[in-house]
Amino acid sequence: TTVSASSAADAHGVALRDEQRARSLLRERFLRSLLAMCGRPVRFSMYEKVQVEAKFGASDIDVLNFQVSDLQTPIGVQKEALLRCPDIITYNFEI
Amino acid sequence: MNPWRQKMPLEWQRYVNNEVKVVADEKRQYQGWVYTVDPVSASIVLVNPQEDGRAHVTVVMGHAVEKVELLQDGGEEIAQRLSSLFSPDGVQTVSR
Amino acid sequence: VHMCGAAPPLERPGERRGVEMKKLYGEDAAKIQGMETAMQLTFDRKCDKKQPKYWPVIPLRL
Repeated sequence: TTVSASSAADAHGVALRDEQRARSLLRERFLRSLLAMCGRPVRFSMYEKVQVEAKFGASDIDVLNFQVSDLQTPIGVQKEALLRCPDIITYNFEI
Repeated sequence: MNPWRQKMPLEWQRYVNNEVKVVADEKRQYQGWVYTVDPVSASIVLVNPQEDGRAHVTVVMGHAVEKVELLQDGGEEIAQRLSSLFSPDGVQTVSR
Repeated sequence: VHMCGAAPPLERPGERRGVEMKKLYGEDAAKIQGMETAMQLTFDRKCDKKQPKYWPVIPLRL
């Protein structure tokens, strides 16, 4: 029983490690994609059919807020702005 | 919370380097190659390579994802292309 | 400052997050945490400097 208990623990350890590795790879890639956006023009498609474009500045790590500059809104340009990520459906840019 | 956000990292990882069709809120549809899925926000980073070597990147926020359909596996070529696109020097760093 | 030897050690700031990061990211925890810390610092610094206001003023989604 000692053997099967320890091999079960091993199997759990391996599964946990696989899960952690997958999470790390996915997260590192996502952080890289945010870094790649810095200083680039980004188009945001938001709820209620709102479309805006801005120069991307930075994101907080919880992906709740984007700091942007020269935000082109339907009613004019806002020099500095924060976008709430829950307002956004998609955003896109070229690299 | 939508089912997409409740997936585990290993499930999201299965979409990486695959072509998918994503249906998002307000009936929006997107297609592209998956570079990654953020395990924090469940947002999907889709890449559409252009002829000139550049690429169009679309990110669908995790909270807005309604459906993700797998289309095809990109294989080694797409995998290389995607990882070099976002590396700081344009070269894939090999982990030691 | 007089410290009583019997007092429980205080939890250092960031320690709890470190434990959580280790649980989530395993052996890559330090790397991911490093990238996140740098990114958050950039965000905080830019917000301090530029004082951006929310747009739109009222959230589209509550």
